[in-house]
Amino acid sequence: MTAYDTIVIGAGLAGLIAALRHAEQGQRVLLLAKGYGTTHWTAGCIDVLDAPETGDDPSAAIEALTVCHPTHPYASAGLANLVAALDRLRALCEAANYPLVGDLRRNVRLPTAVGALRPTCLLPAVMAAGDARQLPRAGSVHGTLVAGFRELRDFFPPLLAANLAVQGYAAQGAYLELPPTGRKRDFTSLTLARLFDQPEFRAHVGRQLRRLVKQNGYSHIALPAVLGLEHAPEVVRDLQAAAGALVFEVPTLPPSVPGIRLLRVLERAVIQAGGRLQIGAFVTQAKGRDGRLESVSTAAAARQQRHHAERFVLATGGIAGGGLRAEPSGELRETALGLPVRAPEHRAAWFSPRVFDGAGHPAFRAGVAVDRRFRPLDLADGVAYTNVVVIGAALAGVDPVREACLEGLALATAWAASDIG
Amino acid sequence: MGAGDFIERSLTQSLDHCIKCNICTTVCPVAAVADLFPGPKYVGPQAQRFRRADQPVPDVSVDYCSGCRACNMACPTGVHIAELNARARAQIVAEQGLPLRNRLIARSELIGRLGNGPHAPIANWALRQPLMRRTVEYALGIAREAPLPAFSASTFRAWFRRRERQMQPARRATQSRRQVVYFHGCATNYYEPHVGKAAVAALERNGFEVILAKQNCCGLPLISNGDFATARRYHEANVRKLLPYVRQGIPIVGTSTSCTLTLKEEAPAILGLDGPDVRLVSAHVYDIFEFLCELADRGELNTDFRPVECMLPYHPPCQLRAHRIGLPAVDVLALVPGLRLVESHADCCGIAGTYGLKREKYQIGMDVGAQLFAFIRDSGSDLALCDSETCRWQITHGSDVATQHPIEILAEAYGEE
Repeated sequence: MTAYDTIVIGAGLAGLIAALRHAEQGQRVLLLAKGYGTTHWTAGCIDVLDAPETGDDPSAAIEALTVCHPTHPYASAGLANLVAALDRLRALCEAANYPLVGDLRRNVRLPTAVGALRPTCLLPAVMAAGDARQLPRAGSVHGTLVAGFRELRDFFPPLLAANLAVQGYAAQGAYLELPPTGRKRDFTSLTLARLFDQPEFRAHVGRQLRRLVKQNGYSHIALPAVLGLEHAPEVVRDLQAAAGALVFEVPTLPPSVPGIRLLRVLERAVIQAGGRLQIGAFVTQAKGRDGRLESVSTAAAARQQRHHAERFVLATGGIAGGGLRAEPSGELRETALGLPVRAPEHRAAWFSPRVFDGAGHPAFRAGVAVDRRFRPLDLADGVAYTNVVVIGAALAGVDPVREACLEGLALATAWAASDIG
Repeated sequence: MGAGDFIERSLTQSLDHCIKCNICTTVCPVAAVADLFPGPKYVGPQAQRFRRADQPVPDVSVDYCSGCRACNMACPTGVHIAELNARARAQIVAEQGLPLRNRLIARSELIGRLGNGPHAPIANWALRQPLMRRTVEYALGIAREAPLPAFSASTFRAWFRRRERQMQPARRATQSRRQVVYFHGCATNYYEPHVGKAAVAALERNGFEVILAKQNCCGLPLISNGDFATARRYHEANVRKLLPYVRQGIPIVGTSTSCTLTLKEEAPAILGLDGPDVRLVSAHVYDIFEFLCELADRGELNTDFRPVECMLPYHPPCQLRAHRIGLPAVDVLALVPGLRLVESHADCCGIAGTYGLKREKYQIGMDVGAQLFAFIRDSGSDLALCDSETCRWQITHGSDVATQHPIEILAEAYGEE
C-alpha cells in the first residue's frame, strides 16, 4: 500500500547496503528477498580483489583494471565509491561494537578451514591475528595452535594445522573438550556461537587453552568462527587474556557466524534508517511500460502481492545467489525481472574443459549487462528500464568468486548506483 | 493420488532444492532454545529422504517443530520445510495414533461450545484454580501455567444475529451493494466476540454489508496436531459453506491470521486438497488488514479517523508473516492520526497455536517468546497489538501486558466504543 521511492530486491551485502544508503537519503525503502543467502554462506570478510600483480594492493589492481578492462563493473563504479562504501560499512560495524580492520592498499591472507591461504581486504578484528604474515614459521620458538570441537562438524584442527605446516608454518591441531552445556544433540556453528556469548562457557574453554599454551608455548590460537554472536570482540578478548596467546577465528562452512553478524548489523541499520525488510518475498513478476518498471509482484499465500516504486535496485546475485538460474532448455535466466542475460551462446561453452582452469569458467561471468549508470541493457544494448539499476554479483563481465571481489563489488556498485539518477 | 498430485510433487521435489546450507536452522526459534529439536533441515528435507510409505518413521523429533514457518521465510532455495514437517508429523500420528490430549486441544470448536454460555464464568473460574490445572496437567498433559483463554458468556454469532434482527428494517432501507463474508473463527466466536464486533464495525464503516456465513473450524489445530483425516473433512465442509458466496465474487475476510492462512494455503497445500472449488475459495480469502490495505490502494478506504494518541508495540505473528503480505496492519494504522506502531522484530511468541499448551513444550514456548516478552515489557506500554489470538494470550501471559487485535484500535479510531 505504501508508495515506495525505492524497492531493493535481494538481502545480500549489495542489497542491504543499497537499502541503507537510500533510506539514509530520506527515501521510503522496501527490501524484498526470497530468503537469506550470501551472508550465511560467505566468510564475513570483505574481499575487494585478489591482487597478485600489484603486490597484494587491491586499490592499485582496481586502477589497473579500470584501464585494461573498461567494461568491468569496478571501472564503472570507480574507486571513490568503493572507498565511500567501505567507510560507511566500517563505521556501522564500529558503532555496533564489531570493528572491521584492514587497508584498501594491502590484502591480508587468512587461513581457511582447510588451511589454504585466501586473500581478503577488510576483516573482522576477531580474525586479525590470523594474518599469515604474522603467523610463526616453522623453526620458530612459537607456534599456532589450531583448536576445535569434535561436536562441530566440518572443522578439523589436525587437517588445518597439517596444511599450514606444509606451507612452512609451525602449527599443531588439538580437539578441546566441550564445556558442559546440558545439550546432547546437535551443535551447529550458531549453537556454539550462542554458547560462547555466555561467560562461563568461554571461561571453561579459556582454561583449556591456557593449559595447552603453557605446555607448548603457542603464540597464536586458531578457533572456528563461532566465538560469540553478539559479543565476539569480548569473547576473543577474554580467551586471549585466559590463554596468554593471540586468538583468531577461522571461517567455518555455512552457516557462517561472521556473515550472520554482518547481516544483523546491516539489518538493524536499515530498520533504524526507516527502511522495511520483507524476507520470504520471492519476486516472480515485473510489470513495466515505456521503458520504466512500474511494479514487481511477490508470491504470497493465494495470490501475488504487487509493489510499486519509483526506482528499483536488482541485487539478487549470480548463479550461487539465485539471481541467475539455468533452465533445462540450456538458457540462463535472470529470475526476478526477466532481464536479458549475457552468457555464452551455447551450453557447451559454459565451462572450460579443466575444472581448475586458471581463467575460470565462462558461465560464472554471465549476468546482466549495464550502462555506465548501472541501468540494465537489452540484447541490442538499449536501456531495458530507465528506473532500474543492477548491482553486485548479478552483473555480467565479472567472476566475483574467482577474482575474490564478491563483497567489494557489492559495495562499490551499490554505492555508485545509488548516487546516479 | 488424484487431485493432490501436483502439490505432492511440488513438495517432494522442493526437497531436492535443499542445498544443506542450514540457514533455516539459524532462524529456527525452537532450535535456538531446545536441545530436543535438531532444526528444520534435519527433520525436514534431510529426514524426508528416509520417510517412505512402506517404512517406519525415522525420527520423532519432528514433533518438536512448532510450525512457525520461519524456515520457509528464510530458505534461499524455496524448500517447503514447514509443510514437509507437518506431513511427517501426520505420518507419525497415522502410525502411532493421536494422544487424547492432542485429540482434545485440536478441537477448538468443541471446547468452545462446551465452555461457552451462561455457565462460562463458572468454567473460567474452575480453569483458574491451581488444583484444577494440576489435575488437567496430570490427566491430559496440558501445562498448568499455559495461557488458556476465558470463555465468553455468549457467542459472537449470537450477538450478530441479535443485532441483525434489531437493525433489519433500517438496513433494508439503505441496502449496501458491497458485501463481505466475515470468517470469525473459533476464537472470536467463543472467547473474544469483541474482536468480531470491531471487525464488523470497521467493515461497515467502509460501506460493506457483513454476511455471517455458516462456517466451521478451519482445521488448523488438527493439521498441526497431525490429524489430517478430520482436518480434510473440516476444510471440505468450509469450502461447501463458502462456495455460494465466492461464486458471486464476495470476498471472505477474517481476523484470525491462522484461519485465513489455512483457508488460503495451509489446507490445500498440506492436506493435498486441490480442485477448482478449493482454489476459488482460497483466492477469495483475505486477512482483514490486507483487505483494508487494498481498499486504501484503490483510494476507497474510509479515513475519517479520530486521533488515537499513543505508541503501541506490535508483534506481527508468524502466521501473518506466512501470508507473505508484508505488514498491512502497520500500513493501515499509520493513517490514524497520532497512532504509532513499533514493530517487535522478535522471532515468535512461542505458543504456535496449541504447541505451547503442551506440558512437554510449555517451557520451550516460553523460552522462544522471551525476546518478545522483554520487548513488550520494555516498551512501557500497557497495551500491545498482535493479529493472532493464541499469540495475544501468550504475550499477555509472558509479559503481563494486555494485548488486542489491531482491528480493535482501528474500530476505536472510527469512533466505536
